[in-house]
Amino acid sequence: MESYVLGLANEADGAEFEQYCITHPEVKAARIAFETELEQFALANATAAPAVVRTAVLEQIAESPVAGNDAVSAPVVGMRPWVRSLAATSVILLIGSAILNIYYYNKYRESSQAYNRLLSQQTGLVKNNNLLQARLEASEQTIAMLSNPNMKMIKMAGDAVPARGSPDTSSMAMVYWDMQSKDVYLMVHHLPQPAAGKQYQLWAMVNGQPIDAGVFDMPETSGMMKMKKVPEAQLFAVTLEKKGGSPVPKGPMYVLGKT
Amino acid sequence: MKNRDNAAFAYLYDHYSGALYNIILQILNDTELASDVLQEVFVNIWRKMDIYDSGKGRLFTWMLNIARNASIDTLRSKTYQNSRKNQSIEGNVDVLRPGDTTRTSVDAIGLRRVLEKLKDEQRRLIDLAYFKGYTHEEIAALEQIPLGTVKTRIRNALIQLRAYLK
Repeated sequence: MESYVLGLANEADGAEFEQYCITHPEVKAARIAFETELEQFALANATAAPAVVRTAVLEQIAESPVAGNDAVSAPVVGMRPWVRSLAATSVILLIGSAILNIYYYNKYRESSQAYNRLLSQQTGLVKNNNLLQARLEASEQTIAMLSNPNMKMIKMAGDAVPARGSPDTSSMAMVYWDMQSKDVYLMVHHLPQPAAGKQYQLWAMVNGQPIDAGVFDMPETSGMMKMKKVPEAQLFAVTLEKKGGSPVPKGPMYVLGKT
Repeated sequence: MKNRDNAAFAYLYDHYSGALYNIILQILNDTELASDVLQEVFVNIWRKMDIYDSGKGRLFTWMLNIARNASIDTLRSKTYQNSRKNQSIEGNVDVLRPGDTTRTSVDAIGLRRVLEKLKDEQRRLIDLAYFKGYTHEEIAALEQIPLGTVKTRIRNALIQLRAYLK
């Protein structure tokens, strides 16, 4: 009984004792007697508490309207049913959201990669297109040339070079000579790539004298190259000179053509 | 109604705060902590007033137990914090050395003074059960004695104490 009053009894024993008190009034009376002794003893041994505590307590009391208002200090024992199911739902939603996040991120990655692939594809296509355009232009130019009645075509071949002097007898180039304006156009069909520091040069042979008609680089596309004007010539030839050309032909002759 | 409640409560405080403060002090041994706990206890009494069931015991008993429980909770959290600062994993609470029962900082008054009249083993058990809040089972484990012995000794100790209360 003393254990119960002093708060030392466990739940089971406590409940049992409470039952006894209900069924046996003498037990209850004994309990009350002990409680009274305890109270008197405690009061006799009271220690005055600091005055500030009294003020603080009464202030806090004033905030709660009525005695026994447990709402403010409701202990966090557990969640009420509806709160619990709300919390459970929130957790499920959160997990669901996280899963969706992962899924969408993967989708995004895929799309991003596909996009990058498309981009590089497109870049390639654009380059290709530019190339085709250039070739088309070149072809159109050739057609225009060929349909020009004033245009004279001179075929320059490697095997036409005397004494088999051409380093590459399969070389070939065409000269398009506008007899009216005297413009000269050159089209390379086959010439070996010159070594570094070297450049091809076109010559027009006039009365036995070679006249410089201009230097040229290997064209990227099979296009016409505009050379210097030639008023008169019996022969056209291409030699390989040092870069920048030469006043007189010194290097090997690759192609030759009679007008 | 509101004013009457407040006035009644003020009387309650004036009449009982000393008694409760004493108990709190004997458990915590620290005036500052005890003041805080006392405040907390009275506010809780105010709030839980409608839960108090007069059939199960007198008002003072109910208030006393609120005070004791709050003090033990504070004691445990304080000791926990202290033991975290220490190197040893074992908390200070587990080791009860002889002579620990009577602390020096607060005068041994009230129940503690009465406790001194008990035999050592009885005093030890009462201290563990009442002032430190251990259950019978925990005490049996700590002191390495059978549960039955714990219950019997505590019962005898309380009967003895009761004689001294009068």
